This record gives sequence, C-alpha cells and structure tokens, in this order.
Amino acid sequence: MICKRLIMVPLLFFMTLVISGSSIAGGPTEDVRKTTDRLLAVVSDPAMKSADMAAERARRIRKAVDERFDWKEMSKRTLARHWKKRTEREKEEFIDLFGKLLERTYLDKVESYSGEKVLYVGEKVDGKYGIVVVKIVTKKDTEILVKYKLKNKGGEWLVYDISIEGVSLVNNYRKQFNSIMTRSSYEDLIKKLRKKVEGKD
Amino acid sequence: MKKFDLELAVGVFMIIGIICLGYLSIKLGKMEVFGDKGYEIQAIFSNSGGLKSGSSVVIAGVEVGRVKRVALDDYQAKVVLNLPLNVKIQEDAIASIKTKGLIGEKYVEITPGGADELIEPGGRIRDTQSAIDFEEIISNYVFGKI
Repeated sequence: MICKRLIMVPLLFFMTLVISGSSIAGGPTEDVRKTTDRLLAVVSDPAMKSADMAAERARRIRKAVDERFDWKEMSKRTLARHWKKRTEREKEEFIDLFGKLLERTYLDKVESYSGEKVLYVGEKVDGKYGIVVVKIVTKKDTEILVKYKLKNKGGEWLVYDISIEGVSLVNNYRKQFNSIMTRSSYEDLIKKLRKKVEGKD
Repeated sequence: MKKFDLELAVGVFMIIGIICLGYLSIKLGKMEVFGDKGYEIQAIFSNSGGLKSGSSVVIAGVEVGRVKRVALDDYQAKVVLNLPLNVKIQEDAIASIKTKGLIGEKYVEITPGGADELIEPGGRIRDTQSAIDFEEIISNYVFGKI
C-alpha cells in the first residue's frame, strides 16, 4: 500500500498551482514556489507536448530542478557515513549518478501532470534550515502532504530532502545504499546505480 | 541461644529477600537509580504514534538507548532520548518512529548521517520521520479510489 502511494505520489512532487489566499510570502516558500511555477509552465505548455520536444522538455525540467535542489548535500546525506571515505572524483560521479537516478524515477511522473492543485500550507524557518509544507490535491480530491526541507546557502534556499506523507527520500535511499554497501561494496552500488540509470526498467 | 540463631537466620533471610525484590523492581521497571549515564538529545515528531518513555532507541537494529520523556510541545511530540556517551549522533542523522512488526510496540530508529558536526548533549535531531499511520494510509488509498 505504501509502495503504491510512493509511486503515485512523486507524480505530484514538484507541481504547483498557485491558489490565492493560501500563499505565504517570502523565504523558503517563495523559492519553492518559483521553481514549481517554472516547472508547471514547462509541463503545461502545449508547444512542449509533442514527442519531438520530449528531450527539450526534459532538459528544461531538469534545469529548473537543478536550480532548487542541492544535489551535493542530498548525495552527502544519502551516502551518510560512507561519504567521507570517497575521493573527490567518486563524490562527483555519485552526485551525477544520484541526480540521474532521481530524474529517471520522477521525470515521467512530473511530465504526466494533469492539473493537480498545490497549496502552500506552512513554513518553518529555524536558522539556516527551513521546512515548506505543501499539500497536493489530486483530481480525485486525495490530499498528499509533501514537506520540502531546505537549507539556506548564500541567501538562497536549496532543497536537501523531501518527505512525502512522512516518508523521507533521503532516509529511504540512505538505508538502501547502506545495506548494499554493507553487504558488498561501494563499487557494487555504483554498478547498480549505473545499470538503473542506463537501463530501461 | 538456639532460639536467637533461628531469629537471626530469619531476619537475614528477610533482608536478602527485600534486597532481591528491590533489585528486581528496579530492573524490571527499567529505572535508573544512580543517575543517568550518557546524554540527552531531543527530536520533534508530528506524530509519536504512542511512543512511551522507556521505549528503545536503536541504530542498525542494536538497542543503544531509551526514550526518556515524551511531551507535547506546540502541538507536536517532543521526544527526549537518552544515549550513552560513546554513541555519537551526527547533525544530519534521521530519527524515525517505527513499529515492531505490524502492530507491535513503537521504538525510535536513528539512521546515522555523514556530517562532521555532531549533536551536542541537549541538542536536537533536525530530521525526523513520524510514525506511519496505517489506518490513514489505507483510508487515503480507499477513498482515493472512488
């Protein structure tokens, strides 16, 4: 059941429809909203819908996401205690692979956007950390609670974790990666990631 | 003389019995008599799922500490964990409330992070994952299908 939700929910992941009156001005919410609005503009643009525009659309989505997501921080948090043991080159390779893995997993869901509403329901700032709470309302009126966890870096709020219905993305991958690395090796994890990123399944 | 010996033996036996009882109740009640060893850190959850003080805190399935206190703080659950001094928790560790089995008791699981900064005694685990409410998930799923 959870699995099903986890598959269904990321679909709505980045999407937003600004509803007046429910908005909270400034800070991390503003930054999250900017990115979601840009994503929405891309996915709901009719000119972008055709098959030959698919690559361009994917590129634009990735670009918008890249600006808001702190891939390095995310990778660091997912690898956790294994991060320090990696060389600079390995770290860069991992950041790239991990980014692609998420892109592969979630791009389809983002592209299949069909008018779900996104409400900004809360924000909490504590020093350089912030949380933006977003509620996504599907057309079947199911509500999905998404929490963006952000860190302020040089005045800009960057996402380092997302929790959907209380399940954290970083924690999920952290446990999976840790289990793979404890059972075999980092090389094996990279091999698996690469296969997943390149493969069609 | 003989009578005195008997009374002494009974007295000693009683005292030993009482000490044993005291020891047992402290052990079973998981109380700390000589003050807590270790340090405390906090974690805020939006739903503690009925976590109780005395519940275990585990890392990689190994019990490392206990929940010292669960209290309401700004309509959220503030959980105080007691950990031994040799268990260090990184700043980006994630604390989640889990259930033993499907309907078993609740416990706190910490997945260690990779940050250089450690959480100081009295500090807070920033990233938490609340108890998953199966009922809610099922009801969302069910009503979502209509």
